[in-house]
Order: sequence, then structure tokens, then C-alpha cells
Amino acid sequence: MMWSSETRRTFPLSSVKPLEGMTPYRDYCLEATHESLRKSALRREESPVTGSRLEAFGEIAGLEYLRCPDTDSLFLASLPDTDTWGDLLKDVNRHRQSPTTFHAEIAPSRRENVHLPKLDWIQSVLVLEGLHTPSLVEASVPSSEFLPILRESRIFSEVVALDETELAGAPKLSGQIDAAALLESLDRAHDPALLVKVVAGYLRPGGLIFVTSLVSSGFDFALLGKRNLYLFPPDRTNCFSLTGLEVLLARAGFELLEVSTPGVLDVEIVRAHVERDPSIPLSVFERQLMARGGEVQGSFQTFLQQNNMSSFARLVGRKKR
Amino acid sequence: MNCLIFGYGYMGQIRHEALRRRNDIGDVIIVDPAANSSEANATVLRSADQVRWDNVDAAFVCTPNDVTADLCVESLKRCGRVFCEKPPGRNWDDFSRIAAAADAIPGHILSFGFNHRLHPCVQSAKALIAGGQLGDILYIKGTYGKSGGARYRESWRNKREVSGGGILLDQGIHMLDIFQFFLGPLAVADAVLIDSFWDCGVEDNAFVLMRGEQGVPAFLHSSATLWKHTFRLEIGCRDGYVVASGLLSKTGSYGREQLVIGKRQFEDEALALGNPREEVIHFDRDDSWDKEVQDFIDAIKEGRPSTHGTLDEARSVMKLIRDAYAISERMKGLVHR
Repeated sequence: MMWSSETRRTFPLSSVKPLEGMTPYRDYCLEATHESLRKSALRREESPVTGSRLEAFGEIAGLEYLRCPDTDSLFLASLPDTDTWGDLLKDVNRHRQSPTTFHAEIAPSRRENVHLPKLDWIQSVLVLEGLHTPSLVEASVPSSEFLPILRESRIFSEVVALDETELAGAPKLSGQIDAAALLESLDRAHDPALLVKVVAGYLRPGGLIFVTSLVSSGFDFALLGKRNLYLFPPDRTNCFSLTGLEVLLARAGFELLEVSTPGVLDVEIVRAHVERDPSIPLSVFERQLMARGGEVQGSFQTFLQQNNMSSFARLVGRKKR
Repeated sequence: MNCLIFGYGYMGQIRHEALRRRNDIGDVIIVDPAANSSEANATVLRSADQVRWDNVDAAFVCTPNDVTADLCVESLKRCGRVFCEKPPGRNWDDFSRIAAAADAIPGHILSFGFNHRLHPCVQSAKALIAGGQLGDILYIKGTYGKSGGARYRESWRNKREVSGGGILLDQGIHMLDIFQFFLGPLAVADAVLIDSFWDCGVEDNAFVLMRGEQGVPAFLHSSATLWKHTFRLEIGCRDGYVVASGLLSKTGSYGREQLVIGKRQFEDEALALGNPREEVIHFDRDDSWDKEVQDFIDAIKEGRPSTHGTLDEARSVMKLIRDAYAISERMKGLVHR
């Protein structure tokens, strides 16, 4: 059985990732990335998805991004060594959770509109696949916001935390775990193929992998390109296309069960960018869409969901037996 | 394993395709006076008299309803392993003959073709409700219908002497089976059957109200005047609801198969009451035919009863149809407009 999903719910962009509120956090991340690259910088030549030679895409605040010619996935061109990268991710994570960023103000809303729906999704899929009180590994940067929610849910017999910045020292639990969650982890992974491989090693044959990601093939990324203020490292070091994610999981030995883009914010993200910067070039159609009311924009967002063209992606894979 | 298929119409060909996809099936012999051997790429016999039963491991009965019971009884006696398309006969008497033949043969394996319960939208709804995510079922409503079509009046399905009934027996039976898949045995509380448009002498619309053993109500609208083909199953539960709609089919005329999952809003939620968030799952593949055949073949191999489309399930659904027709007859008979 193969399926895709759409979500019929609405919440404003400001309740989960406000564009203006995010700017200081984005600046912090960009500066921290520059700083880490001053320590060491290794250039990525090959696509982490297909191995093809990466092509030029453009710069984000002086940081070059490259494009996978096979899948249109985007990748930060240079990365520091893994230890420095791990330090950067932890530093940014601490900053995100500190009271100095906008995240603290919208924590209840993010729990309601981001985290709990993800938990609902995971729970529903587990039920559909006949997995009752399974064990789960969550790959994340400590300390994960989602980990306590997973543990408090009592859905799982055990929740194992995998520090995605310490893959080399990851505990060996080969082939024992029923399910794995990589929620936006691949977007920031130093080596996404390695992360998927390590997680696959944790899973028993038939185990499930849950992946969420923001994808370059989605409407707002495709339309705004380099102007998309949500495209910045380290959070979006890798911006896979939906095809890129599919290939990545398939190559790691997963049979895909769900490939969906149930995002609800694409149109609002574009509108917020255009309001902030009216010089962003739009086609006649795009201008009409931005000028129309919420009902039209809602219908268009539904169209994006139903046709896997939103920028929020959800995938479920089953480890082949 | 060698199989026999009686009847090579739409359903016979579907069963043949499902058997071809398996690697544990040997010869498939088709019995149909109108079938073409080269088109079917199988041996074709013109009548049941020509069948050499010693070479048959299982029989599929995919014929018009008026010969279903005879062929099922014969096949049960001859090889004891029978897969019978729905409906299991034209009426309660036909079904009772099949059941009596089965009861007389120890170790028989008999399955009936109720593939709709194996469609992904129904299976997913069943898993979610069984998993306790939505709470106990409060009610079920089902609408299943088609538009009839240009040759509707000529079809054997609408000639009472051949089919035994109209749209309720032909298509509504699937929804009744699904209802009982969720609720267990139902009893008919009321029924209105009407020959409203096609004027074939069998019902083209059936409205059947039922009640489960725990009092849960279920309501079916089965129709041959739904100008837009429709499959829609609504299940209301204490903590949410599911709506299965659309069916993956060859023509796609029932729409994209999907399941809407909604959770009841509670008073302390910030969202507007009456407009809960919904998740919609779209399904891309229907493997109900393969699952059904697999269950039947596995039952034969393992020497166990089949899991789906059992004799008890067929009995239960035929009772509902018998009772719906009886109530309709009592209430002025079939209403003609």
C-alpha cells in the first residue's frame, strides 16, 4: 500500500515561524556558520543523493549553495569538519531554545501546530501498519524539543535518542528498533546519506522510518529561490527536493509507504516575503494569487498538498526485509 | 494448484488476472460458452459437463446469479474448495442451498467475494478504529451508487429472474458487508426500496436502516441513479470520525480513493468548534483482489477456513437483504413511480 496525505487545518505563519521574528535568529545562524567555516571548510563536490557532480546555484549571505542536477536538491557548498559542525548545530540549538529568540514566545503554538500533528501522524501510521507500542529512535541535536513529547505520549515502549552530531560514537543497537524519526534532521546533516544508513542500522527489517523536511521542490522554495529567507544554514544546509528524499531513502534500502507534502504555509510564506520586499519578481499569475483572498489561497494550498508541491514533506519508509 | 473459473465476464477476468500474478498456480481452465481461448490464453470449456474434476484443486464461480448456487453446490461436492463471487445466490433460498452443501462436506473451504472490505480506505479505517484512536463507533452511514448506463435495462443484473434483485443485491451488498465488518451482525429496522427511474422491475434505489447488537445504527443508500458514481462511508465515533470515499477502480469513475480522519474538538481547544483539523490519506494502489485470492489459496494450502468472505459473513449479509426485501414488500411492495 502506498499513500500520500493532505492536512485540512490552518494556522498563521506567525504562530509557528514568523518571518520578521525569525530574522535575528537567521542572522545568528549565518554568522555562526561563517565562523565555523573559518575554522575548517571542506567543499562538497558530489551530490549526497546521486553522486553526480554538483552545479552552481547561488549565494545566501555570502554562503554558496550548489544544486544536484539529477534531483534539484540544494546543498551548502562547504562544510567544516564533523566536530566543528556538531558544535555549530548544538550552539544554534541552544540559541533557538533560549529566551532571546522568538521561539520561546510561540512555543505553545508550535507544540499545538507543529509537534502534536507530527505525533498524531506517527501514531496513525503505526496503527495502520499494525505496530503497537513499538520502540523508536529519534535522531536529533540534543536537546530535542520533540523527545519529551514522544516520551510523554506513551505510544512507545522505548524512545532512544540518537545524537545526530555524534554518529561515529552512536551506540550499537543493530536491528532492534521498530521505528525511527528524522524530523528535519536531514536538512542539517553533515552527511545525510550516512545519517540514513546509521538509522537504518538501528531498525529491524520491516521497521519504519519517519522523515519530515522542507523541500526545494515545494512552492515557496521553487518560487522564491535564493530570496527565500528560510533557506539558510545550518538549519537548511541541505534542502532536498521531494525526489531527492525519495532517492535517498530508496538507496538506503527503504520501500516508500508515504510520500506527501501536507504543508499549509507555502502561499503565506510567499505573501510575507513579497510584503517585506515588493521588488521580488512575480509572474502575472503569482501576483493575482497573492492579491486574492484567503479562500482562493487556501484552495491553491490544497492543490499544492494534493499534488506533492508544497514545501513541507513527510515520508514514511519501510526497511526492506 | 489447478483452478477452474466458471464465467469469464468482468469478474472472471479479474480473478484470472489475480491468479496469473501468483507463482503457485498451475493450469487455469475457463468454463464459459462465450469465452475465447486465445484471448483468455487458457483452456476454455463450453459447459460444466466437460470439466474433469480430478484435475481441479479449486473452483471460482463468477457467473450470473441464476446459476451461482448450482455451480457452487456442484463445485463443493466435486472438489470442496470454492470461491464464489457476490452475491451468494439470487436470494435466501439459493444461499441456503449453498450453505447446506457446505455443511455436508467436512473440511470444505468456501469464500465469497466481498473485496470492498479489503480496499485500502476501508482497511485503514478499520485499523484506526480498532487501534482505539477514535473511540467507540456511534453510527455508520454508507452511500454506494452508480449511474446505470446506456445498457442498464438490458443487463442480466436487472432482470429479476436472473439476478434475484436490483442494486441492493448487486452493489449495496458490499456496503452491508463493510457495515458488519465494523459493527458485527446487524438487524434491519426499516427499508424503502424503489424502482424510481429505470423501470426494470427491480429496485434502483434502496434505503436501509439497521441496528447493531449494541444498538449502533447504520444506514445505507444503494443507488443506480447516482449520476455521479459514488462510494462514501462515514463512521462517526466518540472521539472523531473517518470518511472513506472514492474507489481505486479500472475506470477511476468513483474518484480518488481516500480516507479523511478527523478528531473531535474539545471545549478547551482554541480552534473553532465544528471545524476540526483533518488528515486526508490518498491511496495509490488497490490490492484487494490479490489479497482476497491470496487468503483463499493460503486457506487451501494451510487447510484452514478462509479469513474473509466466510460462510457466516455471507449468511449475515444475505439475511439483511432478505429482511430488507421482506419489509419493502410488506410496505406496499416495490414502489413504482
